Amino acid sequence: MLNRVAIAAASVLAFAAATAGASAQTYTAPTAAPRTTDAAALAAQARQREVHERFDRGVGAEERGDWSAAATEFRRLIVLDPPEPKGSTARYDLALAEIHLGHLDAAAALLEEALHRDPRFAAAAANLVAVHLRRNDLGAARAAADRFVAFAPESALALYGRGIVALRAGDFAAARSDFRKLIDTDPSYAVAHYDLALVELRAGRDDAARTELEHALALSPAYARARFALGTVLMRGGKRADARVAFDRCARDAADPALRALAIDLRDRL
Amino acid sequence: MRILRRSAIAVVLALGACIGAAAGAEMLLDDPAASLVDSAPAGWLGPITESGRTGWNCAPEHAATARTASAAALPHD
Repeated sequence: MLNRVAIAAASVLAFAAATAGASAQTYTAPTAAPRTTDAAALAAQARQREVHERFDRGVGAEERGDWSAAATEFRRLIVLDPPEPKGSTARYDLALAEIHLGHLDAAAALLEEALHRDPRFAAAAANLVAVHLRRNDLGAARAAADRFVAFAPESALALYGRGIVALRAGDFAAARSDFRKLIDTDPSYAVAHYDLALVELRAGRDDAARTELEHALALSPAYARARFALGTVLMRGGKRADARVAFDRCARDAADPALRALAIDLRDRL
Repeated sequence: MRILRRSAIAVVLALGACIGAAAGAEMLLDDPAASLVDSAPAGWLGPITESGRTGWNCAPEHAATARTASAAALPHD
């Protein structure tokens, strides 16, 4: 009899322990059931659901580098025409897929559309400048860069992009101004000193170029292209021995085989 | 005859290439600054999710408006 009571008590205790655990478990809230039978409302809900799914699949495809699959999802998303900011985001994401598929003209058009929908979409503005630079369309790149700097005047990407465009177009005053602003904002960025040095070199100001290259190399001693540029400035100034040392160091630091071969060639000719 | 003509053309082209390369190297020695190239365009900013730009954690937008080169993922060389 006592034995049965003990077994019953143990069973009650075991049940209590099991139910205590279960009561501590949390459940996610169920998805709200559609409380309508209206055909238009149901169609709108279905469209929202599809927008959500297409974004998930498209971004997932981009993250694993499946650009064709991503493009398919975002093309359909644009047909669905979601409200802002999803509409401009879909165009931005499709542009990214088109870039990787080699369709730079299509990407530029999509980024323009994204910026038309949201004129302060900074990521779209940044990628548009880079697309036009790769298309070698300096006029379009300058227009895109001017627009980007106008709404994000302190953005490092905006200043860098416009500086590169201006340097390539031979607008040394604009390039100097943008690289100088970038250096004022972030003095530790060696590449801005290098590009500013190119501006000064092309403008015939070799002393200013040398100063900027020395800054770049103080920040990044193994910066081979800056070392090569310093060698050229020294050579132009008649300092052949110093130039030889610079080309020799460049030959040791350069990861780019073409730059290394050029540095070796110049070192051996001095 | 045809083979001879083809061989002659090949020799002339090869000589031309050698003379061109030598002239290029000499020009480079005169002004090596002509071989300097500006740094690369910025890399692509990545994908943005459905809620990315309505939330606070949109990495491409943060990079596009960042003030420092490292936060903007600008080229290193």
